[in-house]
Amino acid sequence: MNLISMEGITKTFGRVVANKEIRFQVKHGEIHALLGENGAGKSTLVNMLSGIYTPDSGSIFIRGKAVKLTSPRAALHAGIGMIHQHFKLVEVMTAKENILLGQKSSFFIRDEQLTQKIKEFSHRFQLDVDPNKKVYDMSVGEKQTLEILKVLYRGANILILDEPTAVLTPQETQKLFQIMLKMKEEGCAVIFITHKMNEVLAISDRITVLRKGETVKTVNTGETTTQELAELMVGHPVNLAIKREEATPGKVLLEVKDLIVESEERVKALKGVSFSLAAGEILGVAGVAGSGQKELCEAIAGLYPVKSGEVFFKGENLVGLSPRQIITRGISMSFVPEDRLGMGLVASMDMVDNLILKEYQNQKGLLINRKPAAAKSKNIIQKLEISTPGIHHPIKELSGGNIQKVLLGRELDSNPDLLITAYPVRGLDINVSYKIYELINAEKKKGVAVLFIGEDLDVLLELCDRIMVLCGGEITGILAAKQATKEQLGLLMAGEKNGKREDTELA
Amino acid sequence: MLRMVKRAQMSKTKSTGIRLLAVFLALATAAILIMAMNLNPLEVYGGLFKGAFGSAYRVREVIIKATSLIITSLGIAIAFKMQFWNIGGEGQILMGAFAASCLALNIPDLSRPLLLVLMIIAGMIGGGLWALIPAFFRAQWKTNETIVTLMMNYIALKWVMYLQYGPWKDPLALGFPKIPNFTLNGILPKVLGMHIGWIFAIILVFLVAIFLNHSKKGYEIAVLGESENTALYAGINVKRTIITAIFLSGALCGLTGMIQASALNNTLSIEVSEGIGYTAIITTWLGGLKPVFISLVSVLFAALLQGGSFIQIAFGIPQAAAQLLQGMILFFVLGSEFFIRYKLVVDRPSLGEAKEELEE
Amino acid sequence: MKRKASIFLVLLMVMALVVTGCGSAKPAGEAQDPVNEQPKVKVGFVYIGPVTDGGWTEAHENGRKYLVEKLGVETVIRENVPESSECEKVINDMVDQGCNVIFATSFGFMEYVEKAAQNYPDVKFLHCSGFKMADNMGVYFGRMYEPRYLSGVVAGLKTKTNKIGYVAAFEIPEVLRGINAFTMGVRSVNPKATVSVKWTHTWIDAPRAKEAAKALLNEGCDVLAQHQDAPGPQVAAEEKGVWSVGYNMDMTAIAPKAHLTSPVWNWGPYYVAQVQAVMDGTWKAENYWGGMNEGIINLSPLTENAPEGAQEAVDKAKTAILSGENKIWTGPIKDNTGVERVPAGVTLTDEQLTSMDFNWLVEGVIGKVE
Repeated sequence: MNLISMEGITKTFGRVVANKEIRFQVKHGEIHALLGENGAGKSTLVNMLSGIYTPDSGSIFIRGKAVKLTSPRAALHAGIGMIHQHFKLVEVMTAKENILLGQKSSFFIRDEQLTQKIKEFSHRFQLDVDPNKKVYDMSVGEKQTLEILKVLYRGANILILDEPTAVLTPQETQKLFQIMLKMKEEGCAVIFITHKMNEVLAISDRITVLRKGETVKTVNTGETTTQELAELMVGHPVNLAIKREEATPGKVLLEVKDLIVESEERVKALKGVSFSLAAGEILGVAGVAGSGQKELCEAIAGLYPVKSGEVFFKGENLVGLSPRQIITRGISMSFVPEDRLGMGLVASMDMVDNLILKEYQNQKGLLINRKPAAAKSKNIIQKLEISTPGIHHPIKELSGGNIQKVLLGRELDSNPDLLITAYPVRGLDINVSYKIYELINAEKKKGVAVLFIGEDLDVLLELCDRIMVLCGGEITGILAAKQATKEQLGLLMAGEKNGKREDTELA
Repeated sequence: MLRMVKRAQMSKTKSTGIRLLAVFLALATAAILIMAMNLNPLEVYGGLFKGAFGSAYRVREVIIKATSLIITSLGIAIAFKMQFWNIGGEGQILMGAFAASCLALNIPDLSRPLLLVLMIIAGMIGGGLWALIPAFFRAQWKTNETIVTLMMNYIALKWVMYLQYGPWKDPLALGFPKIPNFTLNGILPKVLGMHIGWIFAIILVFLVAIFLNHSKKGYEIAVLGESENTALYAGINVKRTIITAIFLSGALCGLTGMIQASALNNTLSIEVSEGIGYTAIITTWLGGLKPVFISLVSVLFAALLQGGSFIQIAFGIPQAAAQLLQGMILFFVLGSEFFIRYKLVVDRPSLGEAKEELEE
Repeated sequence: MKRKASIFLVLLMVMALVVTGCGSAKPAGEAQDPVNEQPKVKVGFVYIGPVTDGGWTEAHENGRKYLVEKLGVETVIRENVPESSECEKVINDMVDQGCNVIFATSFGFMEYVEKAAQNYPDVKFLHCSGFKMADNMGVYFGRMYEPRYLSGVVAGLKTKTNKIGYVAAFEIPEVLRGINAFTMGVRSVNPKATVSVKWTHTWIDAPRAKEAAKALLNEGCDVLAQHQDAPGPQVAAEEKGVWSVGYNMDMTAIAPKAHLTSPVWNWGPYYVAQVQAVMDGTWKAENYWGGMNEGIINLSPLTENAPEGAQEAVDKAKTAILSGENKIWTGPIKDNTGVERVPAGVTLTDEQLTSMDFNWLVEGVIGKVE
């Protein structure tokens, strides 16, 4: 008998069908990966399992019994616990307090007994958590472990992990996988959402692939390949090789020297970063999320206050110049993460208004002439194969891939000398991702210097000429991509300079 | 259990239908109230309409009311476009009226056109500067402008009250707390039986529409309203944009203050603002921050007020009941905006069953 | 955008046409009943407060009802009209709806009535309590200081603490006359008693009136008098278990345990006389200031809360006033800073009583004209 069985699940949001007649089954003691591109309906599906959404139609069976999961609490009663991408922990409380939060408990909490119980749980699942440590003292990996412990303690035996590896170093990812295997041993089921195929192949027992809200296929992990999974996800054969353009680096365009930046809370986000970037070169930046990548990009673009150090562009120091002045010097930034709409674009405006964002100030007079931008919009739509109802459609209603194409289209259209792209393919379909790699390569060929902030190490290794690794606001190493390995990068990301581990907490 | 669920985009016909239904429901509900007062609802509704459009005089009154509402709403729209929640229209009106009154009371012998032009400029500067205080706080220290602008309304009110009861009190009013009237030189002339403000309003609707939709500053305001990060990224000078936009916003409210004081009250008093600063928030919002729609909504709103005033006299309806009627119509129309954005979903309480089944 | 703009333009043009097309015509009000030889009378009442305020406005409303009962004329009212340009608008609305006699019943309406009188020469205006007149604008009021003096007598006999409170609205002659007459009434029977004044700067804000009353009670006052539109101070006195003198209407029902008596208005007969005169075509603008002898004002019957001997004292004082023996404003009168305001043997004239020089408080009043 299946532990979980979802039959004929349909969920719509307005006119968008997020899930359509989905069939999804999970067995006892298995790690089941849910694979699919962005917008394939993975999150919607597990949100129904964890009680956040209720299906429009279809039924959910747990251990063969029909259930209605109307709230996260109800889901937890049914034994389902979810670990969200954004942790739901109270920073100022200890691990123990977080575990107990919102639990029904007797008036007097018997502290020792609880600590004991938590320790038992930790031991059983090999979860390394100190019950009395405050959350704000924890690393990302520790927080995630605590989240897992929390839902297990609250009685979950079916665990849903939503893109758990996005925030982890390769080493932390390995540790997470160990925990998942241990849980499987203990008879729990684990549902694991991701779009990284190598991870899926490494850890899961079975894989269910979703595409455009429908179940495509459930396969046994041992019987499939990356190529097959990619095809299932995309719906047609794909070429997964990035063609690296031969590097013919020209003269150095960008030189960063001892760059130090501080956040408003006076925390140093970059602690003396120095590197150089030549024309016709792609410099990749690797690192765990939050290692200073965002600050580096913004500091170069003049958006982040620089405490000390210099940023030379074509021999001119950019520090102290306004973003406007920097734009006019030919520095273009395609800045992504969640902020594709929050920084690079204006969500509720149409494509024309977004295209003029950086150039309207060059127009003469008080009024704006939108005609050239309208023509340009049509041009870019054609060139980058953007699918949109029209140039006057608000861009927030476009899909993530098309939004990124609008942004990148605008940035490339300005013929920059230096292109900074941060996470340009995050959340995008495989097809679009490869299209974007192509575009970046084309820029490189044109002699543009590219600073590429990436997260997928495979891509970084294939696309870039050199890879710079950031950890805790410092450069832990710059490697030539052709000679580098993922393991090397992983160690550098964890803060080991030249193989020696540096205690970042003391630094 | 009832839950709110955000709707996806709704078609134009459907949303218009909901709005019409809301007006109908409002009238139907209010009909019960009217019948309880032993009046015929149809007659009262007829009176509401007749009272607003039934004669040239009434149309003029509607336009006079709409004029102040339109100008203030335009000002508020500029701020709202930047997502700067200017609740301070009331105070900016008062301070605009105050600044204009300074001139009207102190240099009453200046030639009429010159004095009026100066008063308009003073009114706009007065309102603009008053609005700049919260704008500066927001630009500098990221204070919450909603609270600051609201609180500054009270400061403005107390300031005018101080003048009215103290230094500016008319010595000829036998101790009654009122400020002397302006001389004729300080009073706006009439055009077609209405003070000239209505012409200002028409011109401003077009100017503000062009400003918001086609000017660089208007574009910057919209970008900044959407996201400060994007504005920075695009190289927009954020502080300067905030200051400019809010000064304009306050200046338009200040212009209303000048008009209210000069054309309608012929002097400054604590009553000059008449709550327009608050009403304009509603009209701005219902007009979707679009100048042309704002002016239409303002005219309708003014008609509702004028019609409400008419039925009080014509049918002897107590003021409270007339206001209740207006409030009901407003409530339903605003409520319909909610239903256009959200829908309610009923969840069957099945949680208990699920739990029991599992605990077996 | 272009389409929207053009729709808007069309709308504007239509509106402009409506306005200009009819703009040259006479205002609707004047055009009423052009054929009828003897124009029908329609009377408008502009009130500052609600008709149920239990005081000033309700007293006028009672007068209006009396008018309707006696003459059967059509009347309209508008409550809660602020003393601002809104007043002018309400008058315009009333004229628009065909009113040709308008009573405006608050001092602060004066300049708006004056303006309207200029705009509508065919409409008769009567303004209560003001001092500006025109050919079609009359002024009416009553010598309220007479019954105020009598109510002072009752209060002076009642007080145990010899501290009497007075909740007053504005520092205008009307209110000052009331305070001074009341105080002289008090001290005619109880020279040790003082009258403490608190200004509210509102006629109609009941909560503020009540706050002022409470402050006076906390100062030890055991009788409260008032010059407000509504009976807030009476309620405060009732709650505290002390006594009060009302105003406008007999306030026994509102404060049965506290109420002693009230100087009251009786507008009905005056309204009937004025409207009758308009109907007869004999109306002329006048400055009417009626006294107790004409019945427009009076003192309401003393309640059982009134002190022993009060009735006799009131009767005696009333006779003296009605006979002209006590003119109240006969010197010597000193103000509360010790300055002699009325020399011995001199009586203030009506002009002096209503002029802006009447800005002092009589000896025995604690408070000042702000």
